[in-house]
Amino acid sequence: MALLELENVSVGYGSIQAVRQLSLTVEEGEIVTLIGANGAGKSTTLRAVSRLLKVRQGAIRFDGRDITSLPPDRVVRLGIAQGPEGRQVLALQSVQDNLELGAYVRRDREGIREDLARMYRLFPRLDERRHQLAGTLSGGEQQMLAIARALMSRPRLLLLDEPSLGLAPLIVLEIFSIIRDLNAQGVTILLVEQNAKLAMQHSARTYLLEAGQMVFSGPSSELLEDERVLRAYLGG
Amino acid sequence: MGTAQLIQNLLNGISIGSVYAIFALGYTLVFSILGIINFAHGAIFTLGAYLTYALAVGQFGINGLLSGMSLERQLPFALALLVGSVLAGAIGVLVERFAFRPLRNRGADPLLALVSSLGVALVIVNAIQYLVGAEIYTFPAGVYGELPPALMFQVSGHPVVIRTVQAIIFAVCLLILAVVGYLVRFTKFGKALRAVAENPATASLLGISVDRFILVTFFMSGFLGGTAGALVGTSFGVAGPYFGVTYGLKGLAVIVLGGLGSIPGAVLGGVVIGLSEAFVPADYGAYKEAVAFAFLFIVLLFRPQGILGRKQLQKV
Repeated sequence: MALLELENVSVGYGSIQAVRQLSLTVEEGEIVTLIGANGAGKSTTLRAVSRLLKVRQGAIRFDGRDITSLPPDRVVRLGIAQGPEGRQVLALQSVQDNLELGAYVRRDREGIREDLARMYRLFPRLDERRHQLAGTLSGGEQQMLAIARALMSRPRLLLLDEPSLGLAPLIVLEIFSIIRDLNAQGVTILLVEQNAKLAMQHSARTYLLEAGQMVFSGPSSELLEDERVLRAYLGG
Repeated sequence: MGTAQLIQNLLNGISIGSVYAIFALGYTLVFSILGIINFAHGAIFTLGAYLTYALAVGQFGINGLLSGMSLERQLPFALALLVGSVLAGAIGVLVERFAFRPLRNRGADPLLALVSSLGVALVIVNAIQYLVGAEIYTFPAGVYGELPPALMFQVSGHPVVIRTVQAIIFAVCLLILAVVGYLVRFTKFGKALRAVAENPATASLLGISVDRFILVTFFMSGFLGGTAGALVGTSFGVAGPYFGVTYGLKGLAVIVLGGLGSIPGAVLGGVVIGLSEAFVPADYGAYKEAVAFAFLFIVLLFRPQGILGRKQLQKV
């Protein structure tokens, strides 16, 4: 059974149908990438899974359980965390408070403390700035904070929306190596990326969206060699 | 102005200013979470005064549906204040549940929520009038128990008087401000509350139930409004169903003066307005109510965002 399963999901804003009849699965332990042009419906898909957007049609199942109409906070409690696009850190709270809020749904104080220390090991730059307001961090640091904060809930499934957006190439590589480490430690990841090539190099399978519909899916290695994909998305 | 008069004015101003502070804090909490002014807050203030009066004194006058009825047991003032405020908080929760949430769920314009809250205010005020009439209810002397009515001391030959009720008001408000300040600043609850205020979508991605926090906020707001009303009521009498209207407007002046959405701003604004009123000479007592707004105009000329407000960032 897949950890995450979308079955014929349609999502829209007002009269706009942003995602149409989308079906996809993410197996436990995988990294799966969702690529596509701007406005193809990638972020919409993640926001639907996080339940920030209403699903008009179809079903979303997590670990076999129907989550199609749960409120967002319940989904987090079930084990899905999202590092939102645009690094939605809480600018007016400190780095440490942001991380502690990431563990909002947990009650195990010991475990939270351990995870906090782990995040600071993983992202030493956050450690240096732990008492700074999150709004004063650089873009890269805010991105790290958004990822670290999502991890603080100890999710089974991590949704990452554009983790490389607007970051310097070196920091992008750093973030991808962290994503791979996390996956090696057992976190399943569904990744949305503009930087399609890099994302596919780091993932087992890829779905390609176009105008809200799935047009291609398969092992990332195959897609990386596909003429169509190369031409359309990798500038090849 | 002599030293004694100066000290007297300061004491009067700080006491009434502390009530303005907790009352305005009720506006501020709702504003920082929902970005709207809850115009029912003044009516909740009135309601709090009546509830505490009913619980502590136990009977009403000759008008209204409840005329001639009396409670078998009266509560001691402290308990009446607490229970009355909790009930006011519960009414605040109902206001959110029935006047704000349905509109929010439909994605209605925030302006409609404002109108909706005005409607709630009318309902509450009219219900009070229907139940207990429009007469003035004064708390009986000795409602606080065996305390002297006032403390008096001399400053350079002139008397300075602290009424017991002023001391009680100040102590209760200080306690409430300390508790709310601690909750919001230092606890997990407060961090989550501030997260909801800053960005509800992000907060919900962290597993925070935004709707529940909005309910809790309305409870706190109603509690603060109810306490403020009861305290003013014990000090000056509960002056009819429209009792809260002036205070409702004054509370708005306080939060705009202090900076919309700022908790320290609400407290500072309350004390500033309380003090500025206290320094209005007795001969010009009729202009007291105007002072708050005159002060507001002057400050806004120089600091449009209020004393402690941050510059408004347009949310996209």
